[in-house]
Amino acid sequence: MSLVRLVLANLWAKKSRSIGIAFAIGIAVMTVVTLTVVSSGLESSAAAVLTIGKSDFTVAQNGVSDILFSSIDDGQLHNVRSTKGVANAVGVLLETEKINAANPLFLEIGIDPGDLSHFGVTVVAGKPYGATANHEVMLGWRAAQNLGLHVGDRFEGNGTWNTVTGIFSTGISYGDLGAMFPLPALQARNRVAGSVTLVFVKVVPGYSIPKVEQSLTSSHPELTTIRTASQFGRADRNLVFLQAAATGSTALAILIGAVIVGNTMLLSLFERTREFGLLRAIGWTRTRVVFLVVGEGIVLAVVGSATGVGLSFAATSVLEHLPQLNGVLHANYTQGAFWRGLYTGLGMAVIGALYPALRAANLTPLKALSHE
Amino acid sequence: MSDAGVATRPVIEAHEVKKVYDDGMIRALDGVDLTVANGEFVAITGPSGCGKSTLLHLFAALDRPTSGTIRVDDYDMSHLRHSNRFRRQEIGLVFQLHNLLPRLSVLGNVEIAMAGSHRPYAERSVYAQKLLGDVDLAHLADRRPTQLSGGERQRVAIARALANDPPILLADEPTGSLDSASVEAVLGLFQRLRQERGVTIVLVTHDNVVAGVADRIVQMLDGKVVSEPATRSL
Repeated sequence: MSLVRLVLANLWAKKSRSIGIAFAIGIAVMTVVTLTVVSSGLESSAAAVLTIGKSDFTVAQNGVSDILFSSIDDGQLHNVRSTKGVANAVGVLLETEKINAANPLFLEIGIDPGDLSHFGVTVVAGKPYGATANHEVMLGWRAAQNLGLHVGDRFEGNGTWNTVTGIFSTGISYGDLGAMFPLPALQARNRVAGSVTLVFVKVVPGYSIPKVEQSLTSSHPELTTIRTASQFGRADRNLVFLQAAATGSTALAILIGAVIVGNTMLLSLFERTREFGLLRAIGWTRTRVVFLVVGEGIVLAVVGSATGVGLSFAATSVLEHLPQLNGVLHANYTQGAFWRGLYTGLGMAVIGALYPALRAANLTPLKALSHE
Repeated sequence: MSDAGVATRPVIEAHEVKKVYDDGMIRALDGVDLTVANGEFVAITGPSGCGKSTLLHLFAALDRPTSGTIRVDDYDMSHLRHSNRFRRQEIGLVFQLHNLLPRLSVLGNVEIAMAGSHRPYAERSVYAQKLLGDVDLAHLADRRPTQLSGGERQRVAIARALANDPPILLADEPTGSLDSASVEAVLGLFQRLRQERGVTIVLVTHDNVVAGVADRIVQMLDGKVVSEPATRSL
């Protein structure tokens, strides 16, 4: 009779209680995994903006609550361009607009047609718009496909009708789902003349990218640079808050879950006092008794975590299809989300089981055997 | 091992053993001296509250004496550091209530006592089955304890007590809750185990008929050994 078999036999003997605890762990794990998947999805969606430009790094206004609120004026753009080691810097204005129910956050990029190649844009059909044209637009090939539009068609975006002059590809699906406008036209319609949202910087080959970043931010502390998705929080506080909420909810889930698991296992301890007394009397060590009780917790945690991950798939799917979140939320099932789910479940079970396990291990065999 | 040889070496020695509770208000044992030889079958008898179970618990390292010395198979019970290892390797315990785990099979209840033993995992089940055969219960190995009679349960408890081949078997009122037929079967088993395995047996009972099957009867009263009838021929 191995310890594992005994653990399983003990849990099987109290099926209803075991299922109850595993389900409670599952609910907590579901909450944590869903929050992590949602925040990670939002992070990926937001960070996708950065990948469109195919730059070495992106410059944004420091400390804004949402990266789309970043504002860099012409003077700052000039300073970026004149920083030593910068090969080219493309300033773009980013806006989002609901164009229909399926596209509640349609991406609109204002960019000078002369910067398209630096930005990594390939015109796959038609031609670029004019630099100062007022009613011209290029559509990403995915957007054109979704909207059923072709070169020469009319597209209503940014509060006006525009002629589609070309279809572009960025190689990034998020970018190919948007539209590009002449920069002055988009600035004018959004009343932000002379400013851009982000600057996409390419460094001169041979220069150290971190050193160029450091040089730029030290001379312009109002700006920040972003190279990876993990640095995204520098320019988007909302995401930081969302990630903090996910971390906080994990800690809270572990705490509340541990109390529930601990209480239930304490009840089980009282019911099984004679059993623990017997095990100690026939030579079981305290450590083995601790392993037995914690082992039961771990099995419940693994089953609960698996249940929680399954429930999380269902919950995320429901969230994705809510009218308010349709097109906004794209679930991002990262490995990290599953690990977080697992350690939440394990944390709940192990912390919850530890106290009952120690109580069981420290029972005096004689007293335990005479327990009624 | 000859009978003459096994009865010479003492395996349990108690000298001036006292055990008090409640700051001396209760004197459970009051200067007990007792020696049990290797391979001997000793019955400790006496009325309820005379201290016989307390003495057995001290032999089993389930408790410690207040004063005096107890040596069990060269272990000084007053300074025993690893009482669990001692209980696993040196003694087998049989209780009045069999204390079998109801959710395990009969076989599982015997195997569970081998946890932490040096016996390889692969051999444990086979050996547990053999022990059940020794107590004539091999055919009930897959049953649950609740499906057995009282006597059968106690025989399973005896098989469990033998799981790690202890040289000493300590039994606390093992027949206390059995009918007469079961009492006979359990006592017969004890005698057979002593003969076949050379196990030293210390049996606590308040029943003089039960005590009568032992080689020697030790009478206790008020925490003291009051008489030790002559040892029967082994």
